[in-house]
Amino acid sequence: MSGQGKSIWDTLEDIPREALYGILLVVFVIPMIYPLGLPVPISANVRKWYQTIDALPPGSVVMIDFGYSGGGEPELGPMAVAVYHHLFSKGDIRVITMSTSIEGPQLWDKAIAEIRPEQRYGAQYGVDYINIGYIAGGETAMAAIGKDLRATTSTDYKGNSLSQYSIMDGIVDAHSFDLLLCYTTGGDQSEGWVRQWYTVYGTPYMCSVLAMMVPTMLPYMNAGQIISVTSGAQAGEMEGLVRVPARGIKSADVITMTHLLCVVYVVIGNVAYIAKKSQGGSK
Amino acid sequence: MSTTLKKTIPVAIVFVVALLVMMDYFIVTPPTDAAGKSWTSGVVKDLQNWGIILTAFSLGFGAVNLFYFHSKHISRRTPDQWMFSIWLLIVIVIFTGVGVFMGPTSTSYNWIYNASYFALSATVYSSLGFYMTSGLYRALRIKNIESTIFMVVGVIVLLKNAPALAVYFPTLSAWGSFIENVITTSAQRGIMIGGALGAISLGIRTMTGKETGFLGRLTEEEKGGGAP
Repeated sequence: MSGQGKSIWDTLEDIPREALYGILLVVFVIPMIYPLGLPVPISANVRKWYQTIDALPPGSVVMIDFGYSGGGEPELGPMAVAVYHHLFSKGDIRVITMSTSIEGPQLWDKAIAEIRPEQRYGAQYGVDYINIGYIAGGETAMAAIGKDLRATTSTDYKGNSLSQYSIMDGIVDAHSFDLLLCYTTGGDQSEGWVRQWYTVYGTPYMCSVLAMMVPTMLPYMNAGQIISVTSGAQAGEMEGLVRVPARGIKSADVITMTHLLCVVYVVIGNVAYIAKKSQGGSK
Repeated sequence: MSTTLKKTIPVAIVFVVALLVMMDYFIVTPPTDAAGKSWTSGVVKDLQNWGIILTAFSLGFGAVNLFYFHSKHISRRTPDQWMFSIWLLIVIVIFTGVGVFMGPTSTSYNWIYNASYFALSATVYSSLGFYMTSGLYRALRIKNIESTIFMVVGVIVLLKNAPALAVYFPTLSAWGSFIENVITTSAQRGIMIGGALGAISLGIRTMTGKETGFLGRLTEEEKGGGAP
């Protein structure tokens, strides 16, 4: 189609994707470089998640599943880091981490390098926290760990025997844990823990998933099987609660701005469509 | 190979294993050892650990299969493919070599993971945001009643998920929560229950040998005259 005789409505109804992408990129990059400091209200689910951890009595044992992949790290990584800050800051909480994602151990290393638990909280590997590594099998692995952890894996993610770490004293099965947390980019993991741990052992469970997965997890939360479901995109809220502002707060500005831009795009597209239709030009 | 070996024995194994796992999950059986565990608990624990070992083995087997598959592309010089196949095999060799000789938790392994796969994976996933924005602009048009409802709900959820807007427009947040907690949850429950019923049906068909897909290629005769 030639550009001749093209009305403003024609242009606005069919904006080239390059222009849409370009504007999105600008709106995305500016808040990343110059944070706008927009307000980040605390939603009910994030508050419930925070209060649940806050209410853990001293000596509690928490199991964490680092079940996300590299693609999901920018969304779920900040939430995992913020929650770790909360757990470490409480002190006297034993945190045992495993992975149902093969990339989990690498992403856990990345998170721990960001948290620096030894320097910041005086926490010790093997005493206050440990990573027992990737366990293949998905739901089968969850069930096996819940039934008998030591029979499923006898080493940590570095290949050292679990028996040499004091954190593992008295850890037998799912009954040994007071809380289960899961960060995942896969529905099989987030739902699998409900089936294999909550249903069988009644272990209190919370999960943080990709924003698009939240609707699939809400029925479990509304039925009381999950205490709280959050999306990684809410990491800024958690960082606000634990008072360790980081990547999540920056992302909150970006999310607000890009969502607003999306709404502007929808409005422009519809105004142009209706205007053209009223002139008899659009089908 | 006889039908007994190709179908009857595998189906019998599946039936017994599935029955044991279900018994352990659903039925409270009396304890038989000092730890208070039932006899099914020990058996199922072993079965689960076998499953984990088999899954881990299948990861290695998958790598071998990748070598076989892409070596064929390279030897045949498949157009627009063989160079990518070479690159894939080089990357597998590098990751495997560093992982085996220096350890999967070594600094070197973490470096190549972070510098290559992690960066690429995050980039590819993030690029979806651009496609979705363009798709949103073109798809959310008021063309009829259905698309209007779709657009209104979409815009409310978009705005509800923009953190700062919840402060300035609390009503939006309430509408968004209603959509998520009532409408979406109701629909999602229906989907989940439907899926669960389908899974139960598939499980029963597999246990009774009516579903034979997991056995590989069988003739109609071996399938028992075809599944109804």
